[in-house]
Amino acid sequence: MSQNKTLSKIQVLRYVILVALIIILARLFFIQIVEHGDWVAKANEQHTLLEKITPKRGEIYMMDNDEPVAVALNQTTYQIVIDPVVTEKAVIEDVIQKYAKEYLVADLNDVYGVEGLRYAVVARNVPRKVAEEIAESSAAAVWLKKTNQRVYPEGNLASGLLGFVNSDGIGQYGVEGSLNESLAGKEGLIKTTADVNNVALSIGNDNVKIPAEDGKSVVLSVDRGLERGVEELAAKAIDETAATHASVLVMDPNTGKVVAMANLPNYDPANYGDVDDASRYLNYTTEVPYEPASTCKSFSFAAAINEGLMTPETTYFNQGYEIIDDWKIQNAEQRSMLYGTINMRTALYWSLNTGSIYALKLLGGDPSSINQTGREKLYDYYHNKFRLGQITGIELVEAEGFIPDPNEGWGRDSVYANMTFGQNLGITMVQTATAFSAVVNGGYWRTPTIVAGNLENDEVVPIETERVEDKILSDETSAMMREMLVNNRDYKVRGGIDRAGYSVGGKSGTAQVIKNGAYDDTMSETVGTYIGFVAPKEGMPEYVIMVKMLGEGAYLDGGIASNLFDTVSNYVIDYYKIKPGA
Amino acid sequence: MALGLIVIYAIGPMRANVLNSAYGANYDPNSFFFGQLRSVIMSLIVFFVAFKVIPYKHVQKYAKPIMIAAILMSVLLWVLAKMGSSLVRCELGECRWFDFGIVSFQPAEFLKLALVIYLADFITRRQKDQTLGEWREFWLPLIIICGASLALVVVAQGDLGSGVALIAIIFGMLLTSSISMRQYLIMVAIVLAVSVFAVVTSEHRMQRVDAWIATLSGGESSDSTYHIENAMLAIGVGGFFGVGVGNSVQATGYLPESINDSVFAIMGETFGFVGLFLVIVIFGAMLLNMLKVAEGTNEPDNRLFVIGVFSWMAAQVVVNIMAMTSLIPVTGITLPLLSYGGTSMVFIAAALGFVLQLSCYTSREVITNEDISSRRGVRGAYHTSRRRSQRNTK
Repeated sequence: MSQNKTLSKIQVLRYVILVALIIILARLFFIQIVEHGDWVAKANEQHTLLEKITPKRGEIYMMDNDEPVAVALNQTTYQIVIDPVVTEKAVIEDVIQKYAKEYLVADLNDVYGVEGLRYAVVARNVPRKVAEEIAESSAAAVWLKKTNQRVYPEGNLASGLLGFVNSDGIGQYGVEGSLNESLAGKEGLIKTTADVNNVALSIGNDNVKIPAEDGKSVVLSVDRGLERGVEELAAKAIDETAATHASVLVMDPNTGKVVAMANLPNYDPANYGDVDDASRYLNYTTEVPYEPASTCKSFSFAAAINEGLMTPETTYFNQGYEIIDDWKIQNAEQRSMLYGTINMRTALYWSLNTGSIYALKLLGGDPSSINQTGREKLYDYYHNKFRLGQITGIELVEAEGFIPDPNEGWGRDSVYANMTFGQNLGITMVQTATAFSAVVNGGYWRTPTIVAGNLENDEVVPIETERVEDKILSDETSAMMREMLVNNRDYKVRGGIDRAGYSVGGKSGTAQVIKNGAYDDTMSETVGTYIGFVAPKEGMPEYVIMVKMLGEGAYLDGGIASNLFDTVSNYVIDYYKIKPGA
Repeated sequence: MALGLIVIYAIGPMRANVLNSAYGANYDPNSFFFGQLRSVIMSLIVFFVAFKVIPYKHVQKYAKPIMIAAILMSVLLWVLAKMGSSLVRCELGECRWFDFGIVSFQPAEFLKLALVIYLADFITRRQKDQTLGEWREFWLPLIIICGASLALVVVAQGDLGSGVALIAIIFGMLLTSSISMRQYLIMVAIVLAVSVFAVVTSEHRMQRVDAWIATLSGGESSDSTYHIENAMLAIGVGGFFGVGVGNSVQATGYLPESINDSVFAIMGETFGFVGLFLVIVIFGAMLLNMLKVAEGTNEPDNRLFVIGVFSWMAAQVVVNIMAMTSLIPVTGITLPLLSYGGTSMVFIAAALGFVLQLSCYTSREVITNEDISSRRGVRGAYHTSRRRSQRNTK
């Protein structure tokens, strides 16, 4: 064993270590200098936490004695979330049994049956107090996720108007849906470097924080007390008749403000998922067009009067029917005393279709037949002046409806003849009520509204929006129409239903339902409507009230609807303490 | 000099935070720093004691009892672990530590030093009585001692990293003995064959190899590639100058073992290529100087000891860093003097203390040309031992 040999072996070790260290340095150079950019990009991907800051949703208020009262509020609740891999089933079962049995939303057997599942929500809507108890009892077993839950202190009240907030926090239907953007506010954003548990770190210099903008609280023009009273009357009407649905709209014709909007039956917006049929969510006053039937005569009569072509005293010869485009159009009312020459007031009173067809003929300047001028004029009034078949601009989801073209298509004369008494067109209740308001309020079409303003520091601040106010009828036309509409109800006055000291006017409608593409002439199912106003005796109308009742397979005529109108109109007079006139 | 301490100081609170949130533990933000500071101080004391107080000659006399004590300690640990004694601390299913409350102790580290001392003595004696390379006199006892050590460390304690260090010690020391090249190569071949067999037959070890191949070839990320990917991420993010002390994001929990095995990666993120270059130069200087000391030592016994320490350190440094840079599969080995942990640092410090002591006895001729280098060696050893280090104990 020579010393030299050993030394040369040490030399081997020296080379080995040198080579190893040089390889390492080369590798480090490659990773840290050459690939640096790639690794930084990868690190950003891994380290950057994007977190949304959820804004507070605005609340919804109604008015009550000029004071806003909350009808939709927020409440913080918790979800119980587990990691089935970490937490034993028995522990979870124990916790749930002990504290949150009624909030359980998942079958634990299912949850634990899924292999590799690391995240499962097992309970929802757990109140804060219960959540705190759970947190104290077994912090490591579960974690609690904060969620915002919408609560409706008035329960089912005005559910069709209010809508609900779904589990993603998005408003659906009603005001929650239509004003969602304003109610929801704006999400904030945190972009930051985070540790492995996604906890934000102070390290890093491109951190971003955009604060959330809380949603605005909205105050509806709807009066809570009136709404509740109207809903009770509507519910009673459903109980007492064959109707399954009843909608009531009460608005101030002088401002366009809606003060009650009822869609019965209601549902519970806090448990919206319990509703078996999604059509229950619909707001029938704005979202569902229907055939207005004879209530529409108010509009065809007003059109002819406003053109100076007709007065309530204008007469025509009623033979009980008309034949137009080879179609025989009959009056519903065929009593013999009505045959012969009668005036328009009488025609409206008995709701004679021949009367409104005569108004259309007068619009065309030819009392003997319907012509293009007449059709175009009627279209101009219906579509452009009364804005039927158009979005009204109310702060809700609206259907547009449909008004047939005066010239395009087959059988325009018969179609337009039908339109004078409210068939062959589709419009919504809010369109009807707004147009009717113009008929009776002196001729002003005003954009209807459901919103009084935003609630800021307990003050109702009106929202600046563009609203239409359009004089479409003369004062005289409006006065003549009011006189005829009040005259329509003289039997109600005689019956003691309309009280002395008040002028209550109105018009009924019985709409046939289209089944299998054709009118169902058996009248086995009809929609009953009634629209009217209440005013102090000889005064201007203070409220316009419209009711609509329907039920599958049920015959509901304007008479049945008028009964509900009667109770509502008297309720409105009492509720607002409208002073009787001279 | 205080590089390691700074790193632990900076990432200690993050580590404490990670552990606290992950396991509901309650670590003080500075507990790792003070733990490491304690280890550094203890290591410095041990270093000077080994350098100045205890002559290596005395240690040499007790080579056999030391070796037996070290083996017995590992056996005891194994037995106690089997019995589930509270004196044994286990982490991730591997029981490698005695736990005496305030201090804990990792027998494997002791075993490494003991093996170096023992082999130096054993090989020298066999060289003297001309029985080196003989089956009964040399190979049998060697296989028993080394086999037992490896079995205890790798099988009983599941500590592959320490096993690699032990094998390196054996390889290095035998290489510089006067054993015939033929026998040496046969031995190396057999050990390597057994090692490969052990890797291939172990699912857990194969996983690491697969993970390594996946990382190299840019394959799919998986749980097993997570560690190495994040180590490389940390190193890569560091760039040329590093992100600076306290700005490591990877240490906040992305990189496993950030203060132990992976401390090199965190240093790469913190101090960049410049910092790592410095670290490697310092380690290189230390290791090369050890070789110079070995060359300048006339006593075969002392020379073998120095080579043993060299092999031990070189293996840990090279294997740890290569694993962190994905040059080889992850083995779970600590970086000497820099990783968090007391036992390893203390024993390395002791070994370096003895090496320094021996460097003072190098032959005059060598000293003249070795003078500077051995001083450098001194300085290097001194400095580095002030850094903190390795895994094991607190």
